[in-house]
Amino acid sequence: MSRRPVATPILLVLLLPAALSLPARADEARSLLVQSEERHRTKSQEYEGDLAVTSKDGKERRKSWRSYRLGYAGDSKLLIRFTAPPEVKGVGFLSLPRPGKNPDQWLYLPSMKRERRIAAQDRSASFVGTDFNYEDMEELDHEKYDVKLLADATEAGQPCWVIEARPRSDAGKSLYERKILFLRKDILYLVRMDLFRPGEKQPGKRLLLEDVVLVDAHHVARRMTMQDLDRGSTTVIRLEKLAFDRPQPEGRHTLQNLVREAGD
Amino acid sequence: MAIASAASARAQTWSGFVEARGFGYAERALPREPWVVGWATAQGTVEQKVSPALRLSATLRAEVTSTGDRDLFLDFADRDLRRTAVSLREAWLSWSVAPTVDVEAGRFLLGWGKTDGYSPADAFLPRDLTDPFADEKLPLWGIRTRGQAGAFRFDGVFVPVGTPWRVPVSSPRFAPVDETVLGLPVVLEDGENDLPRTGWGALRLLATAGDWDVGAWGRTGIRPAPLLTPRPDLAFLDGDAVAVPADRRYAREEAFGLELSRVAGAWVLRAEGAALFSSDEGLGDALIWTLGAERAFGDGTLLLTLAANARGTPVDPLLLFDRAILPAFLAVWQRTERWGSWRAVWTQGLRHGDGLVKGEASWNATDALALTLGADVPYGSRFGPFGARPDLRRARAGARWSF
Repeated sequence: MSRRPVATPILLVLLLPAALSLPARADEARSLLVQSEERHRTKSQEYEGDLAVTSKDGKERRKSWRSYRLGYAGDSKLLIRFTAPPEVKGVGFLSLPRPGKNPDQWLYLPSMKRERRIAAQDRSASFVGTDFNYEDMEELDHEKYDVKLLADATEAGQPCWVIEARPRSDAGKSLYERKILFLRKDILYLVRMDLFRPGEKQPGKRLLLEDVVLVDAHHVARRMTMQDLDRGSTTVIRLEKLAFDRPQPEGRHTLQNLVREAGD
Repeated sequence: MAIASAASARAQTWSGFVEARGFGYAERALPREPWVVGWATAQGTVEQKVSPALRLSATLRAEVTSTGDRDLFLDFADRDLRRTAVSLREAWLSWSVAPTVDVEAGRFLLGWGKTDGYSPADAFLPRDLTDPFADEKLPLWGIRTRGQAGAFRFDGVFVPVGTPWRVPVSSPRFAPVDETVLGLPVVLEDGENDLPRTGWGALRLLATAGDWDVGAWGRTGIRPAPLLTPRPDLAFLDGDAVAVPADRRYAREEAFGLELSRVAGAWVLRAEGAALFSSDEGLGDALIWTLGAERAFGDGTLLLTLAANARGTPVDPLLLFDRAILPAFLAVWQRTERWGSWRAVWTQGLRHGDGLVKGEASWNATDALALTLGADVPYGSRFGPFGARPDLRRARAGARWSF
């Protein structure tokens, strides 16, 4: 069960890129993922996100938020504040790590004027009505997968390592039977992930990480596209005002700050 | 970067909505009651982060109804018996005196407690029962300080002059009386309203330890819900009914409570208990407890709450408002869909066997426009808080444009 709601999705994507590179089947694949993770580790991250869900008939829905992460991966604190549409403006999400356990997660709903502690989300649930499921929003912890290196490929003109990742049976139930990761060889950054639900011969969903730029000496994709190839809908996330390794104000990742309206 | 920070600190945002709603009623007690009521609302909010430590917000609301019973003045204190056409929903200034300590002053809304549907920590706060099924709170004028030190938090509120519950009694639809005099139905009329001259203060302490969250609170002062005193000696003939004035007064009350919640796998379990004391013979003491559970199932969420008062009340609980529905069982199922959302709410009174079923589906035509259809169906014994209002069975439709 994923206990990472809203913000982690982005995290996942940003961290994932880091998680991949090198030669020779399983060991090589693992080594690539470790190198990628080490290479893209950051102390903090801030951005403004804009998300658009486009249905098969072309109808578009948008959501916007600000995200502040302090720390990295399992040790990170995360605050997310939705800024649009008006119906969700001010909704806040706070995730605080707990050693060896799922993180504490809290939600602030301006309409109720109170914070609520929330339990682990169903990994198969849709993330705020998008083509992302909660599992898609988690950081890719390669330790929870059996991995092996496949034949090289080219994605968006860039040579890539291709790694197959199958969820381990002892790592919790996954929505997917397998994932195919495309890691750019030059920067060990994840640029594509094909997702196969149980029984699917062709990928049911595809995540593309595009517009990779260098921000504060870290590579990051400013555009993430999740395609639900079965349903025909697409969700695009754009990241603006990205910043890494900036000092975070004291108290930003606290419940007191979560309940502050008109604040972070 | 300095320029960016300054710009961020002065960030000002506007938001709000325009909404039109229509209610169609299945029954009416008197010919004067309309079958259909229209309701239009416009609300705007401005928020400004003046500096990293100073924030302010103000919300103004304007409303009109097809019944035309709204006075055209701005009721700053919301102490009028009737909802006015223009009201100030919020107007507060918040100053962060330390990284995790804030002081807020002005007009604000409070939300306390842990259990959903009914919380003894929250139930006393003033409600606007103009629409009795809307569960709309009234804002307060006051001072509040909140802070955190590690796993501990505090929340103190002082309200110098209390805002009372808004309880419209003059409509037989909203406040039916199961009596007749000389073959004519009896309706209540607004009598004297001895508005509170003072307010109340409260302190809430919270802590988190692992999967557990605990809280304790206390409050003292004027209870915002009125005590009604019918005056049959002042009854008069009002068209097709006999009108009985109902006077209002406000009693002092002291209360202490505990809150507990725990994450247990996919469930969040919650419990509250509160002891309420009053020397007023019309109010008496109370011992209120609640148990709640919440769990997400895919894109849906289930909320369950059981609430009761372990003490008897000197008058029919229906007349005490904040404990009128006790004991009760509440179940809520809400689900987000790609097209919008829907929810079903069932409240079952356990004293008289009456209850309320509410259903609502909202379709997001665009990010800004939502269309809603719903129904409210009270049922059961006329001696219970829901069954007593059979004339409130209604269907509703609304359109809300947000900006």
